[in-house]
Amino acid sequence: MTAGLKTIISLSFVLAIGFLLVILSCALFKQYLPLLVVATFVFAPLPNWICGRCSNPDDFVSEGSGNAVVDFGRFCTGFLVAMGIALPVILAHSELIRVPAMIMSIAGGVLIYGTIISFGMFFQEEQEF
Amino acid sequence: MSEERLWKFGKPEWMNSATARGAGVYGAGALFSIAFFVMLDASVWSKHKNGSAIHISFIDWLPLIFSALGMLIINSIEKTRLSANSFSYSGSGVAWKARVVLFLGFASLAGGMAGGVTVLVLKYVVAEAPFPTLYMGIANLIANGLVMLSSVVLWVSQNMEDEYSYNLSL
Repeated sequence: MTAGLKTIISLSFVLAIGFLLVILSCALFKQYLPLLVVATFVFAPLPNWICGRCSNPDDFVSEGSGNAVVDFGRFCTGFLVAMGIALPVILAHSELIRVPAMIMSIAGGVLIYGTIISFGMFFQEEQEF
Repeated sequence: MSEERLWKFGKPEWMNSATARGAGVYGAGALFSIAFFVMLDASVWSKHKNGSAIHISFIDWLPLIFSALGMLIINSIEKTRLSANSFSYSGSGVAWKARVVLFLGFASLAGGMAGGVTVLVLKYVVAEAPFPTLYMGIANLIANGLVMLSSVVLWVSQNMEDEYSYNLSL
C-alpha cells in the first residue's frame, strides 16, 4: 500500500505544479483567459468515461458496431485534448496573451491532464481484481 | 479472409490491433478539433489584430459547417449495410438507401471544400488582399482539408473494427 501512497503524493504534487503554471500564466500578465485551459483539460476525460459506462461490454462482437458510443466518446476526448493545446495558441496568435503565458498554460494543462490520466490508469486496475 | 483479398499487399498486422483503432479515433477527434480552431483562430485574429477592411463573417464559416455536416453523415452510416449484396439486408433496399445517404455526405464534404476555395478566391484573391489578410482565406481552406482528413482517418479506423472483432470471435 506504500506504493499507492507514493503514487498519490507524487501525482498530487504534479497536479499542484500544473495548476501553479496555469495560474501564474494568468496572474503574471493580468489576463485571465488561459484559465479556460484548466476547464478544458478537466472535462477532457469525461466523454470517454460517460460513453464507456453507456456501452454494453457484451455487445461488441455481435453487430460489429456495438461500441459506436465508445468511439464517440473517444472522438470527443480527442477533440477536447487538442482544444486545450489549440486555445492558448489562438490567444497568443491574436496577441490577447503573450507567448510565455501560452507556453506556461500549455505546459500546465498537459501536466494536469497527465495527472488525471495516470490517476485513472493506476487505480482502474485495482478495481478489477 | 485471405481468399477475399483484392490487393497484392495485405494490411500490416499492427493495423488490426485495438490500440491502433483507438489511436485512430482519438486522432480523428484531434484533427477535427484543429480544423475548428484554425477557423476560430482566423476569426479571432480578424476581430482583434486585423488591419484591413476585410473581416470574417458568416460566409466564411459556411464551408466548414457543410464539411462538418458531411463528416457527420458519412460516419453515422452503418458500414456493414453498404456491402449487403446478399438477401439478408437488401429486403427493403437498405444497401441502396445507405449508398444514397453516403453520396449526400460525400457531396456535402466536397461542397465544403469547394466552398472554401470559392470564399478564398472571391473574397480575398479577387480583392487582391496582401498576405496577412490572405491568411484568413487560406485558414478556411486548411480547416476544410483537415475536416476531410479527419473523416478519412475515422472511416479507416472504423473499418479496422470488423476484422478485429472477427479475429476475436474465432
